[in-house]
Amino acid sequence: MNSSLLVIEFLVALLGLGVLLADLWIAPSARRTLAYVATTGLLLVFTIHAGALAPADGTAFGGMFLVDGLANFFKSIFLVAAMVVLMVSTRFADRLNGYGEFVALILFATVGMLLTASANDFILMFVSLELITVTFYILVSFQRNRLSSVEAGVKYLIFGALAAAFMVFGITLIFGSANSTNFFEIAAKQGELAKSPVFLIGLLLTFVGLGFKISAFPFQMWTPDVYQGAPAPVTAFLATGSKAAGFVLILRLAYGVVPELSAKWSHLLLGFAVITALYGSFCGLAQRSVKRLMGYSSISNAGFLLLGIAAANDTGSSAVAFFLAAYVFTTLLVFAGVTVVTADGETDDFSAFGGLGQRSPFLAAGLTIGLVSLAGVPPLAGFFAKFWLFKAAALRVADDRWFLVAILAACVAVVISFYYYFGIIRAMYWPRHTAESTPVEPSIPVRLAMVTCIAAVILMGVFPGGLVSVARQAVAGLGPATAPAAHAAPPVAAH
Amino acid sequence: MTPGLNHYLVVSALLFCLGLFGVLARRNLIVIYMCLELMLNAANLALVAFSRFNANLNGQVMVFFIITVAAAEVAVGLALIVALYRKRQTAHVEDLTSLRF
Repeated sequence: MNSSLLVIEFLVALLGLGVLLADLWIAPSARRTLAYVATTGLLLVFTIHAGALAPADGTAFGGMFLVDGLANFFKSIFLVAAMVVLMVSTRFADRLNGYGEFVALILFATVGMLLTASANDFILMFVSLELITVTFYILVSFQRNRLSSVEAGVKYLIFGALAAAFMVFGITLIFGSANSTNFFEIAAKQGELAKSPVFLIGLLLTFVGLGFKISAFPFQMWTPDVYQGAPAPVTAFLATGSKAAGFVLILRLAYGVVPELSAKWSHLLLGFAVITALYGSFCGLAQRSVKRLMGYSSISNAGFLLLGIAAANDTGSSAVAFFLAAYVFTTLLVFAGVTVVTADGETDDFSAFGGLGQRSPFLAAGLTIGLVSLAGVPPLAGFFAKFWLFKAAALRVADDRWFLVAILAACVAVVISFYYYFGIIRAMYWPRHTAESTPVEPSIPVRLAMVTCIAAVILMGVFPGGLVSVARQAVAGLGPATAPAAHAAPPVAAH
Repeated sequence: MTPGLNHYLVVSALLFCLGLFGVLARRNLIVIYMCLELMLNAANLALVAFSRFNANLNGQVMVFFIITVAAAEVAVGLALIVALYRKRQTAHVEDLTSLRF
């Protein structure tokens, strides 16, 4: 058994268990150290993952677990997101009962995300997605004494369980028609499977489950409520890690497992992409709660990402990977600011951000950079990410006129979203009436996290070349022809 | 007449639709949650049937995973519903109204 491939996952799981144990002996006042220990541990895991000790490409557990470029790329994203979320959550520690368990749960959710990135079998895909979802049920409702947090948790629970049920039934139908749950084996016989209606229904139901994770229309109902009710650091992780976990699976399924079908269904995907982007933009207009607004922003961005999936070309897959990397840093930056503001005040209303330009220039500057990047203004990361996604779709315009319509609609969505992103910036620098004047002070870990994110957002925007080539390499192995031939052989030899 | 694969699949699809109908139509959180479990078990029945008729044991392995995950989900879910009841003195979906813009 080639289980050394799972070294990253093992280490993070061990770290989580260690934190859970250490929580029993540590005084409640010193629980913040657990977050620092966990962040340092994740940093060590990250150096292993990025360095020479990283497991080589290959498969383990009878082809269930796969390490390849795409998996490694997304694992880096998940580890970075977890580190930033942990550092930012230290500012929130006083409001979370049982902070040690909070840290451990973040780590367990990270293990789930790492496993989804490597899932090469519908069984592992389901189990790792559920590991993320069940952990997030607890995390979302972690502020048990706040009604909105518990209510958000229950809503996430009902929608999450419904999506899981659809996905399980979909996987069942896929298993029934393909007589296998392995991605490579299904990819090898996708031609004949595409004619089986049972397989098609199964695939659609599986995409329902994934659509819930990435909050694509029409499975986005939970997003604004849950984003608003959950504690701010949890919302940050939900918007980055959980969403990227859904997209890594969609990328793998659409580009690696059933590329022929997804090319055939590109109009369906395109329709959902456009509706999702427009829905997120229009509904965000009337919002007064910043966390809720970020929920609609997250829906809108899911729409842009689906545009890259629908494009079904190499540019599309690498643009999705690039967009997610940029999106994770940008969103974490915004939520770091939101966390600090909501940790002091009760509300996350626009008024809580009023006059932030005077109350904390650093925080306001960080938030502004994040929001401007989300809006897609050059030269920040968000601009290049959107540009490349639109380029991927534009490459298809020549052979399919509908892509032109989709790009125009997406541009409308971008322009509308300008209005609400700049609404927050206006509230920070030019408040209508200054309700608050108490200065807010971000702690050193939060500053560190924000500076990292700011640097990443600016660097990715000004010098996108480096990440572009990394993203291209990451998705290179996804090609329909190469995947089964290149990877299916090793496990047989390894046994 | 011995029941064939299709009989099992029809029963499974009926159970799934029954569960879905319950989730959409009922208003009590506990009942909704029971209906969600019914949907998962519909999938389990279909998996076992496919496994038996296609002579592939992978389906039965999947059933074990689903049962385990469902148990974890129920443990967390019921705890959440109890926490909500303590806070709000209700388990009805109409009363989940604190999150609005």
